[in-house]
Amino acid sequence: MKSGSIHAGASLRPRDPVTGEALPERAQPGYYPGFSIMSQKAYWDRATREVVEARLKPASPLRFFSDDEAKLWTAVFDHILPQTDRIPERRIPLIPALDERLQENRTVGYRFEDMPHDRDVYKTIGIQAINAEARALYRRDFLGLAFVEQEGVLRAIHDGDARAGEALWKQMSIHRFWQLLTGDAIEAYYAHPWAWDEIGFGGPAYPRAYMRLERGEPEPWEAEERRYAWEGPVASLSDETNDASHHHTEAEQHGHRPGKRQP
Amino acid sequence: MATEAQSLSVLHPSRDAEIISNHVREGRFQRSLSLITAGASIVSGLEVAYEHYRGSYSRRIMYTPVILSAVLGAAAAAAVFSRRAARGALRIASIVTLADAAAGFYFHVQGIRRKPGGWHLPLTNIIMGPPIFAPLLFGTAAYLGLIASYLQREESRSEVADDGRDWWLASLLPRAEERALLSEEQDIREGRFQKQVVIVAGVSAILSGFEAWYSHYKNNFRYMAQWSPVILAPLLAGAAFASIRSRWFARTALPLCSVAAIADAGVGFYYHARGVVRRPGGWKHILYNILYGPPIFAPLLIGAAGMMGIMASMLRRSNR
Amino acid sequence: MKEPLFGPFREQGNGKHTLGPMQHIDVPMRRFREDEPVDYLIVGVGSAGGVLVQRLARAGFKVVGLEAGPFWDTERDWVSDEAGSHKLYWEDARITGGSDPLALGANNSGKGVGGGSVHWAAFTPRLHPSDFEVYTRDGVGADWPISYDELLPYYEQLEIEMPVAGPAYFPWGRPHGYAYGPHPMGGVGNALIRGCSKLGIPVCIGGPVAILSGSHGDRPHCIYRGFCIQGCKVGAKASTLITHVPDAIKSGAEIRELSMASRIEMGKDGRAAGIHYFDGEGRPHFQKAKAVIVAGYAIESPRLLLNSSCAGHENGLANSSDTVGRYLMAQAGNVVLGRFDELVRMYKAPPAHALSEEFYETDPKRGFARGFAIQTVAPLPIAFAKQMVAAKKAWGWGLRRELMDYNHWATFGVLGEILPWPENRVTLADEKDQFGIPVAHVSFNLHENDKRLIKFGKEKTFEVMYAAGATEVVQEARYAHLVGACRMGADPGTSVVDKFCRTHDVSNLFVCDGSVMPTQGSANPGLTIQALAARTADYLISQGDAIFTSNRRDMTPPRLRRGLAPPHTWGKGVPRLT
Repeated sequence: MKSGSIHAGASLRPRDPVTGEALPERAQPGYYPGFSIMSQKAYWDRATREVVEARLKPASPLRFFSDDEAKLWTAVFDHILPQTDRIPERRIPLIPALDERLQENRTVGYRFEDMPHDRDVYKTIGIQAINAEARALYRRDFLGLAFVEQEGVLRAIHDGDARAGEALWKQMSIHRFWQLLTGDAIEAYYAHPWAWDEIGFGGPAYPRAYMRLERGEPEPWEAEERRYAWEGPVASLSDETNDASHHHTEAEQHGHRPGKRQP
Repeated sequence: MATEAQSLSVLHPSRDAEIISNHVREGRFQRSLSLITAGASIVSGLEVAYEHYRGSYSRRIMYTPVILSAVLGAAAAAAVFSRRAARGALRIASIVTLADAAAGFYFHVQGIRRKPGGWHLPLTNIIMGPPIFAPLLFGTAAYLGLIASYLQREESRSEVADDGRDWWLASLLPRAEERALLSEEQDIREGRFQKQVVIVAGVSAILSGFEAWYSHYKNNFRYMAQWSPVILAPLLAGAAFASIRSRWFARTALPLCSVAAIADAGVGFYYHARGVVRRPGGWKHILYNILYGPPIFAPLLIGAAGMMGIMASMLRRSNR
Repeated sequence: MKEPLFGPFREQGNGKHTLGPMQHIDVPMRRFREDEPVDYLIVGVGSAGGVLVQRLARAGFKVVGLEAGPFWDTERDWVSDEAGSHKLYWEDARITGGSDPLALGANNSGKGVGGGSVHWAAFTPRLHPSDFEVYTRDGVGADWPISYDELLPYYEQLEIEMPVAGPAYFPWGRPHGYAYGPHPMGGVGNALIRGCSKLGIPVCIGGPVAILSGSHGDRPHCIYRGFCIQGCKVGAKASTLITHVPDAIKSGAEIRELSMASRIEMGKDGRAAGIHYFDGEGRPHFQKAKAVIVAGYAIESPRLLLNSSCAGHENGLANSSDTVGRYLMAQAGNVVLGRFDELVRMYKAPPAHALSEEFYETDPKRGFARGFAIQTVAPLPIAFAKQMVAAKKAWGWGLRRELMDYNHWATFGVLGEILPWPENRVTLADEKDQFGIPVAHVSFNLHENDKRLIKFGKEKTFEVMYAAGATEVVQEARYAHLVGACRMGADPGTSVVDKFCRTHDVSNLFVCDGSVMPTQGSANPGLTIQALAARTADYLISQGDAIFTSNRRDMTPPRLRRGLAPPHTWGKGVPRLT
């Protein structure tokens, strides 16, 4: 933790690239200050309005996950889609949407043959896998690790760099496991109107149309872009990307190697 | 003067201007106005043809303005050469086209209502739906044609002609209106219809100014020049409406604003044409770019209002 | 303004079943008894099923369409929202595998009346004439038992019925024009035009898409809101739900929603006798029929046939050739994403609005058979975020950062032809679904030709994206569409159905949907599927009662019956130039 910082957890917040100081938490991060999707809800159809408004309501109690499971997955998702740049009351809950999906046994409509059922992943195998990787790297369970160590565990899974032994990853493809986790985190975060405010997405537009289709012109009710520079927190390993475009096929890109011995 | 040179000569431009001015003053410009009508009709026909193609001709009635503008253009061209065509074909074509413009206005209003959100979203649906005033502006050419049909020809020698009165149309009306119509017709023949033209010019300026405003609003007023028709249109309209009561306005502010509007139309035409070729694909996809680029003929609409303003300023005021 | 002028929007429908903001179904639907055989029982009311139900009902047959999903009321059920639209997709259990497993669900499988046509992007290019003779020309894949010219009248007919918007002159394949005018461009389309124009690649602007560019009776034209694949609430995008099903119901057809077919019952006479299905509450039913048409698309159709194995058809119904489930195809659908310094805002305008088929045909110089198209795609935030995970391995803050730049990206899709291979197939898994029916296992494997084609297509699309002015270009590898798995052919030993979609093995059993396609070209399959359905319907109608009573196969091609089009088809659009 940086000395002199007023807020606890400043090392977890994005920084100003020039000064290296943690940026203040914002009600609305992103480059579209003042843009509010919800201010436009009167222009949407009723069905859409109800679906979007429901995401702003306090989440109902979890049904699928136990408290301990929820704790672990909350911690994991805090790394996959970190929100420490947001003031606490404007952080988007990710686990409730996942809990609801698993409780209702909804899937994306297919299961990779080298993957267990989603419910089994989230209830048992996935938890075992993350803890096993955490122990292999740092000799403690995931929740017992420091933030930056947790990042290390998840980056290893992200890289497909499994250490925890063959038996575990034979039940489950490490790449498809990562794809599942990121997919669920994204489905919750980028379905939320606050995330749309952040990225400047115009959101629902029926019955009202879009009229400025070209050159990225904003609609009268949209905001102009106002960029600011930032870089990832000190304690984070995730603010970097690796171009995977050289892979031509989906299987290669997702590290899927049929018949390849899993490490 | 009127009995002297009937043909213009480029050798004496000042005298030509005087001749034209006199012809207009005395209502003796049927041929020139017919020529203008023919040109205007062809331009607006082209415009409506591709605008309606954008709407996919999804109703058969969308073909009518395209056909009528060709008919009107032909009638007006014939009127340049024939007095009979001017009083017959041109007049009928103009009246039918005006009626079609009114019908078009109705359908465009309905079209906006039928868009999702309808009149709850007036601006969006005017911008993204059928352009609401376009049919009325389309009627401009027909209006000019109708006026032309009542004028005297340039070569006409009688100071006050009273031949060619449209007794038939007048006879359909009650007595008082019959007299009013006949006297209006007579005024036109004598070039004493300034008031009428300034009203039309003013309305036309307002409508085209509104069209310019919302089209450029759609474009987020990316260029400063996009404000020019929006500013000029109310000025022109103001000058025109002031001219109803004030002879002074008709002689000063009206021609001034009109010339500015015509110049702005030229500038707009240039920018729109440039905008079309600057679109992605440029000349390679010129037809598509004309279709969906800045409408190249649209700036001419405010020019047409300006032209009517000039014409009005040259006309005489009625006796009444 | 916080509120629309004149207050909130009026609620649509007044209790009627709405299909878009103006259209609604206002006649009661006919109901048939289960114990009396209907003439045609159609499994799946999607792209093909919707057209079949409408045509056959209009011709006077007693028709029931069984649909596993709901009969959508578009105002009530659909939303302008990505995460809220999952119910449009087939999300029942399926297993996917092989060396190159296919994503299913939202990627290619619809559920509910209208099927895939509810969530397609509505690109509607035709196949090229060469697609019908791939084997003859290139020595790979297969030939169709019909030629382009046999399907052509149906292409033209369906392009009017949908109708399809596009340019007056489409230069590739057999050149033709479209009835509805082209659409305006959004940021992605403009990028494609810029890139292609710079490289001298011809590009087709504003279509062909089955999205209205002008109003069409009770269907308003497109409002460019970008939620095409979430179901078009506007009713501007064609789906059989709004183009054909309303007329089917008016003509006396029954659409039986939430009815999951589990097995085709065979009679003692060796003919199909009806279908076992489960209703919404999971209760079993049996509907008798004189003829059965399976229109469940490339996974559910073979699954149903395989699940209907019985004495005499031990390998599954209509599977004496061991072809049911085989030759499944998806198209290469690599998404190439380019970041631009200026804003794009690609969520505006339909995802589908410009394309180039310049690389469609085989070019021996490239070192592989067949080709690909380049099309606009425009993912909404959730889909885009997943693409960033794949293309840039983004997560955590990197993912947040990429998404904050969402409005700077434009995306093109490669649509590449993958050849039909026997081991790319649908089989039955041990696992069962919520009704106890064995689920489909899909195995997909790329071959050398496919991989070369994908690499070339991807690289060419990169060139176009850079030429358009992108400063960074990345790519997500994926697949699009599904066809094959019950292919048509002249030889009963190597195909499942004949050229009129009748199974070789059972004379009153038909399969009519994307699964009958022997090859797929680089065209989105929706239009071809509907055209095949209309042609099959014309054949059935031309046969009258013979289908119900006789096992004789009349191979006379039918004539096109224009009079069977939905009545609102006519009197709209521009005359065709070519």
